Amino acid sequence: MTINLIAVLLPFICALLIILISDKTKYLKELLSIGVLLTSFIAAALGLAYSSGGIQTSLNLEWLGEISALALKADILSSFLLAAISMFSLAVAIYSFSIDKKGSSKWFYFNILMTQSLASGAVLSDSLLTMLFFWEGMLVFLYTFIALSSDSHEAKNTALKAFLINGATDLLMMVGIIITASLSGTFNMSAISNSKLTLIGWGTAGYTLLLIGAVSKAGAFPFHTWIPDAALNSSASFMSYVPAAIDKLLGIYFLARISIYLYQLSSSMQIVLMALGSITIIVAVMMAFVQQDYKKLLSYHAVSQTGYMILGIGTLNPIGIAGGLFHMINHATYKSCLFMTAGSVERQTGTSNIEKLGGLFNKMPVTAVCFVIAAAAISGIAPLNGFFSKELIYKGTLETGYVWFFVAAELGSFLTLASFLKLGHSVFFGKTPSYLENTKEAPFSTLFPMIAFAAICLAFGFGAYWPIENLIKPSISQIGVNTASELTGFHLDYLFAISIAVILLAIGNHLLGFHLAGNKASKASDHIHHAPLLSWLYDIAEKKFFDIYEMGMRFVKYSAGWIFSIDRFFDKITDDIPSGAFNLTSEKISAIHNGSYSLYMAISLIGAIIYLILAGGLK
Amino acid sequence: MTTELLSYSIIPLLAALAIPFFGRRSFKLTEILSNVTLLAGLGNLMFIIFNPSNKLHNYETFSFDGFTILMLFTIYLVALSIVFFSTFFKVGDFNKNAFYPLIMISVSAMSSMVLSVDFFSLYIFMEALAVTSFALIACEEKKSGIEAAIKYLLLTFPASALILIGLAIMLFANGSLYFDISMQNASPAVFSALAFIVLGFAIKAGLFPFHFWTPDAYQGAPATVSAYLAGIVTKVSGMYAIIKICTLLKVMGPASFKISSPLMLIGVATLIFGSIAALAQKDFKRMLAFSSISQMGYIVAGAATLNPIGILGAILHLFNHATFKTSLFLNSAAIEKSAGTTNMKKLSGLEKNMPVTSWTSVIAIFSTAGLPPLSGFWSKLLIILALWVAAPKPYAILALIFSIVTLAYFMLLQKNVFFGKPKEELKEVKEASVYMLIPVIVMCLIIVVSGIFFPFVFEFFEKTL
Repeated sequence: MTINLIAVLLPFICALLIILISDKTKYLKELLSIGVLLTSFIAAALGLAYSSGGIQTSLNLEWLGEISALALKADILSSFLLAAISMFSLAVAIYSFSIDKKGSSKWFYFNILMTQSLASGAVLSDSLLTMLFFWEGMLVFLYTFIALSSDSHEAKNTALKAFLINGATDLLMMVGIIITASLSGTFNMSAISNSKLTLIGWGTAGYTLLLIGAVSKAGAFPFHTWIPDAALNSSASFMSYVPAAIDKLLGIYFLARISIYLYQLSSSMQIVLMALGSITIIVAVMMAFVQQDYKKLLSYHAVSQTGYMILGIGTLNPIGIAGGLFHMINHATYKSCLFMTAGSVERQTGTSNIEKLGGLFNKMPVTAVCFVIAAAAISGIAPLNGFFSKELIYKGTLETGYVWFFVAAELGSFLTLASFLKLGHSVFFGKTPSYLENTKEAPFSTLFPMIAFAAICLAFGFGAYWPIENLIKPSISQIGVNTASELTGFHLDYLFAISIAVILLAIGNHLLGFHLAGNKASKASDHIHHAPLLSWLYDIAEKKFFDIYEMGMRFVKYSAGWIFSIDRFFDKITDDIPSGAFNLTSEKISAIHNGSYSLYMAISLIGAIIYLILAGGLK
Repeated sequence: MTTELLSYSIIPLLAALAIPFFGRRSFKLTEILSNVTLLAGLGNLMFIIFNPSNKLHNYETFSFDGFTILMLFTIYLVALSIVFFSTFFKVGDFNKNAFYPLIMISVSAMSSMVLSVDFFSLYIFMEALAVTSFALIACEEKKSGIEAAIKYLLLTFPASALILIGLAIMLFANGSLYFDISMQNASPAVFSALAFIVLGFAIKAGLFPFHFWTPDAYQGAPATVSAYLAGIVTKVSGMYAIIKICTLLKVMGPASFKISSPLMLIGVATLIFGSIAALAQKDFKRMLAFSSISQMGYIVAGAATLNPIGILGAILHLFNHATFKTSLFLNSAAIEKSAGTTNMKKLSGLEKNMPVTSWTSVIAIFSTAGLPPLSGFWSKLLIILALWVAAPKPYAILALIFSIVTLAYFMLLQKNVFFGKPKEELKEVKEASVYMLIPVIVMCLIIVVSGIFFPFVFEFFEKTL
């Protein structure tokens, strides 16, 4: 356990240390952070090796008295996630070394280290309360990460948006945790898994609330709306770290935990999960297809791909779950890589608007090759890693018998490939604009993580056998899913034929769009963008009409208006009317005291008479 | 009369006779003589009150009650404050040769009133006090002073007539005017006599609806005289007698409510009316006058419960009222001298130039409004408690609500006069001289100390009343 704890404690201590280091020192903060994260990664990798070797360690510390202990447990799934998180932290830390557009580097590395520490704690937690502690802690650093990534006012607004959406869903998750714990009588996940909860009565409410927390973290529809905003207003480093990697890993990890480990799901909940996954795929990819900004386009894909993972886990059969988890790690790899290429292009050219970019393949060959590999992976082109994980998800979906979800997933695949053809074509191919003639390749520290991730994409594709057999299979068998069927291997079956057909269709669609738009690659999506009905939908979506946060803000605005007028009304009753009456009476009384002797005398005499009548009447 | 304490009424009288003769030779001597006389009296009283041996013997050696001694103490305290303040308060064509002897005579008259044991001497000394008051109001040779004096005279003379009628009826009914004998017989004649007497004193005390003379008289009189009138004179001439009658009423048993319930009604009406009227006042002194009326309402309401707690509350509030209202009136005098006006519309932001005046006002205001731990809180608390126990519940609630209104109008006053931005023409205003501040500071100290050490005060009255 000690070796796993290094990934939690060391970054935390180092983060506190970073605050003390002056802003003026050059490279000290960066190198210190990279060193610490490297140590964490090595420790986490060793921990994973121990766990895979069958050594399962755990730690129970006295905490909160009778309610819950501070329980950490390194089973294979947790160790696997811990290693993955540490790897992404390390890669992004190296990548950001020479990226300037990331805000103050002191606070950037502080946030990375804190996120690494808390995310590691969250995946290691065996108690729901301990996990909640780490999980909620990340919320703070999500806010600071976005808010400090740029000086602009928009960054603060987006940070607030992300904070409020995640804060609200975390709150719901907290209620879910309380319901779950009160149903099972303990916060300890291992103990709960021994007698799984069922979706009866309060169980449904508890699971639904936990589900909201998990998919919101993963960034699924309709909790995704802060991610495209963050793509515009924060840095590529942040995007390749949190929304692309850490959030997906944590959200899908927790989704798998609750859906398989803690609860015994019913078939109706299975449909809910799969529908949620399909809707996320379609809605987000539709939005992604028409984007004109490199990072924003990627951010919608980050949402869309979450849908595949939810769909995979939602099938509730071993193949789908394996596919979901495999897709989680694959997606983190290529999406992180893609955001890094975006950051690198932005760093070298100064823009991320694809209309202004073009023909960069010759200028930035390494970045371009990495992009092509990652884009092929995300589009599910064989034999890259994305192909295998999607294949598993498709198989799992078909096994459940709901063909419509399969069709939705394939449609998502088609649009994904189409949008990456458009993106790649307009950024790296075509004619180089004159102002980009002097563009140079990015520095090595920026390229290295990209190359590493592209290599993983290739390795997990050609050698998909290794991660599935050594990481995914033991992980899911540990949470109670036993796989009878074969998960790996290249099958030349009808699914492969369909994927080839989809690829050909997407290429055809791109060529059609390219031709219709007058040979402008960045406009290759216009024939769909401006199609009847769709153009209207796109318009209101661009105006953020469907944004859950904007809806909430509209509601808050109207209800605040109402509450204000109600408040004014009561204020009038309790304040204005009495004080007005008082003042009026007071002024009238003052007016009576006008110094007239005869008036004074008359009132006194009347008073005397009334008094005497009163005194006499009482006798 | 209580012969034991008679010197407290005779010595000021002798001083009043002596002062004009000294005044011919040196005016300084006049001032010194009046200050010394009152200081000596106050010193003696303090010796009686704070003598440790009294406490040791559980106050069994006292042949007089705590009410009398407290009233004497209050009279001397306020009179000394006014005289000391006037010594350093030089303004206008104020006839000081008349002022000091008149003050001495009124001190003597008030002491005699307090020491009276029968209605007749009470009446005689009240008349003597009234005459000196007319003269005091008119002592500044201004038109407003004369007008105020005449108004005071004319509006309060029916009181004398009513009291005389009451005395006559009482004398016919049971042949004696001694407090203890005259009350024993609860015949209708005695009741009607008491009704007349109470009505007369109510006019003298300025209770609603007989209060009309008070704002005009306080505003028209010279600043120090209005402090003196509001602080002690009207309280003793009217309120003392009402409280005394309320303490005596208990010998009549249950029938006594026939006198007390109209009185309580008057008290509550007065406290409401005074507070509301004070809200709209634009003049510092006039607002104080209405506040004074409102506080009289509290005292009457407390006394008319006939409950020991209520009567104790009324007595203490009388004393507290003397302390805080004197400080406020003296502050208004200081402002009138420094800034040249008491119109609140023309004043603002004096806090910077007159910090001591401002903060002593705050203490006095908080005590008036009944904020703990100041002395005004305890007396108001006792009154409201007594009203809750021994009177219709709405009375207690109204008393509570209007104590908040008290705070409201005084906050208005404090805001308008002291806080806010100083006006251009008030930039040069100076703080009053140290000597003028001493009486106010002493009063504020008494407010704070008697509030904090209230348990001792309570114990004293528990033993002696």
